[in-house]
Amino acid sequence: MLRRITPRIDARVAGGLLCGVALWLLWFPSLLTSALGIELLAAAFFCWARAAKDSAAQVPRWAWLRRPAVALWLAVAIQTLSVTLEPGSEASNMGRTLEVLRRLEAIAIVWAGLELLAALPLTRPYSDLPGPFLAVRPWLPILLPAAGFVLLWRQAPHWITVAEVRHGAALLLLVTAVLGAIRSFSRRQWIASLRWIAVTDSAMAALLVSSGLVPEMSSFLLWLGACGCHAFMLAGELRGASPRRGQLLTRLWRTASWMAIAALSWTVLMTSGAGVHGRLEPVFVLGISLTAVLTAWITVGRMVNAPERRSLVRRDQAINLSHVVATAIMALGPIAILMAWWSGFEPSWGRSLLALLPAGLGGLAAVATRQGHGRALWSRLQGWEALMRRGARALFRMVVGIERLLVTALGRATAALSGPLHDLHTGDAQEYLLFVIGLGVLAVVLPLLQ
Amino acid sequence: MNLSLVWSEPAFPAWGALAGAAMLLGLESRRRGGIFELAALAVLVPLAGLIAAQPEARLERIALVIGLAVATLARNRESLFQSECALKLLWVMGGALAFSCAGLELLILATGTSEPTEQWAVLEMGLDPRFLWSTALPLSLLIGLVLLGGAPFHFWAADLFQGTRPWLAPLIVAALQVSGGIWVAQRLSGIESFPPAARAIGYQLEVAAFVALLAGAVTLAIQRRPERRVGTLASLNGALVLAAIAATHSRAGVAHGPWAIGPWAGHLTLALAGAGVLACFAQTSTGASAAGPVLFRRHPWTGIAGLFALASLAGVPGTPGARLWLELARSLASAGKTWTLLALGAAWLSAFGAAVRQAHEGFGATGSAPPPERSVPWQARAAIWIPALGLLALYAMR
Repeated sequence: MLRRITPRIDARVAGGLLCGVALWLLWFPSLLTSALGIELLAAAFFCWARAAKDSAAQVPRWAWLRRPAVALWLAVAIQTLSVTLEPGSEASNMGRTLEVLRRLEAIAIVWAGLELLAALPLTRPYSDLPGPFLAVRPWLPILLPAAGFVLLWRQAPHWITVAEVRHGAALLLLVTAVLGAIRSFSRRQWIASLRWIAVTDSAMAALLVSSGLVPEMSSFLLWLGACGCHAFMLAGELRGASPRRGQLLTRLWRTASWMAIAALSWTVLMTSGAGVHGRLEPVFVLGISLTAVLTAWITVGRMVNAPERRSLVRRDQAINLSHVVATAIMALGPIAILMAWWSGFEPSWGRSLLALLPAGLGGLAAVATRQGHGRALWSRLQGWEALMRRGARALFRMVVGIERLLVTALGRATAALSGPLHDLHTGDAQEYLLFVIGLGVLAVVLPLLQ
Repeated sequence: MNLSLVWSEPAFPAWGALAGAAMLLGLESRRRGGIFELAALAVLVPLAGLIAAQPEARLERIALVIGLAVATLARNRESLFQSECALKLLWVMGGALAFSCAGLELLILATGTSEPTEQWAVLEMGLDPRFLWSTALPLSLLIGLVLLGGAPFHFWAADLFQGTRPWLAPLIVAALQVSGGIWVAQRLSGIESFPPAARAIGYQLEVAAFVALLAGAVTLAIQRRPERRVGTLASLNGALVLAAIAATHSRAGVAHGPWAIGPWAGHLTLALAGAGVLACFAQTSTGASAAGPVLFRRHPWTGIAGLFALASLAGVPGTPGARLWLELARSLASAGKTWTLLALGAAWLSAFGAAVRQAHEGFGATGSAPPPERSVPWQARAAIWIPALGLLALYAMR
């Protein structure tokens, strides 16, 4: 009866609904809603994966999404526990326990955020693969770094106050940003490149959050500008490459993307050079500069006008949604920086100009290469690019390979250590009797030996 | 008639689990065509009664419960698994019972009384050598540890769920675990009046709880059979009691407030009853893409009800079981037992993961398989719904 009155919901629709609710829940500052949001996101991917034709490949591929959710549930449990403990008894040994719990909570939140951002060696290359839902498959993985950033940004008060966790997260985010840019550079497909640039954008924005030097809203707007721009461009690619239709629109999007990257990288460079990373400051400055050069080069240089193949050209509106969004993205960066300045973020002029160089150089080199197409120097530069792309691909594969090797070794060591426990669980009846006797004898002998 | 035997927190879950077991037993007796199968109810009723009444723990009573369980398991001569379970229970629990009996007699010999509170008072006078009570006390608790099913004694609960009938396993496991919990709790009542023993036993219990939680967490992560998952979750729930008693009798010799066995026992019984039946209809995890079992494809809401019981056993947030885990975590944090608290966290994560894995496997890795023609018998579905509704009632009651 119940079956008859229950409407059958299509798995694709259910996944979409779950995903929508998940993103809505992530927006709230509560840790509980964040955990629920990531759990629903994992459920959405599961729904899509099992409905896909190649479900045998898709279900295990996206099973890792449960890990960030579990980490967040742990954080929720710790928070609930900490809140319900009696505050008066902190003077005793409970104080140490609370301190341990606070660190554990920060680690759990950062784990969840970093894993979604592809910043942990467990599932780093997920952006190479399309998502499980056929209709928006190539676009779907972009949701994950976005969710990772929103999580880290929303829950920042829980983890940036724990210095060790913040430093560790910043280092991992830097590696992710650099690796994301290298991978994006090494991919030939524009769609795959965009997916990796979104990872880089989110990692850089999360790095900004970890510094704690700019207001929350500024970090968010800078991320929205950069990641939102690339997400929109990717979505546009799936709808007939709409952002690349027409010279004006292509230039508009190219400029918007360049400006968004410049604004984000400038702010991250300024905060990284402000002494938050201690002795590792030069490493951070170098890494972010390299990332900015590469991402600017890719988005400005590789975004080319899509050729019109239709015999009868459709008449579009003079200004459509794509124009409006690109213009809004161009405005987001300056607005975010203005908000940061208003709240007291005032770097020196000289350093500010220096921090603009990487993104500026990357973009200008890309423009120059395109403008100088056909000339000897620029043709040679394009040849070098192909060589560098191969090098970047090899470097990324080597890093991921080493990471996988380490993770596999760790997994094997854990399995070897837990093997005896498995044996203990599946023994014969006689062995258990001997075990109890041994334990009993131990209970008799140990006190006598004391 | 004593109403607490019908409507107290551990009582109504026990009767609920019994009703579910009776449904399954009725179904089985009809299939086998023998009304004599229903005679097994004569064993199930006292087991449920023990959970409901939670009488004072005595070794004779514990021996009787073990004997009853072993005899019921050994009755089905055709089932090799069931006979093996009976043998294992007999070996391990018989041996542990003998050791505990010896420990208890040693304590009585040393103190001249069998009452725990009087024993601590006598020992406090310092007339007996330390090694006497420090040997006798852990020995007397051994049967409690075995019955609670915490690692390294976590095999028997999983074996029972895998090897015996679904109407039998939950009540036997719950009755044995409840007996073990009551035994340990009552043996240690008032031990704070003798601080050296409280310190020693607090430390030993803490180590036992730590090992039980951590080993249980690792074991659960590698379980592929749904029945063994439920059994390992039961042993983790036994480890909760150990940890709770360790927190109550802290090393400083100060009692940190009692952790009531009653709500734990009631919840355990209902959750095991629901999850045990669910496990019968679930399939072994193979890691490959497969359609879900009949229960989920034909009766998804019943499957969800079964998953609710399993989730509660695992302490998934939003279920009645989660409160127990949280309450224990509070006790451990208040007592400053950080390592045990961390082990509890690891066990919780493992249990949570196992519950979600079970849900994924229940709904299957492919959504395109059509629902099968044959349905699951209504008795089996009722045996899942009764515990699930009981758990909801428990949630509402607290």
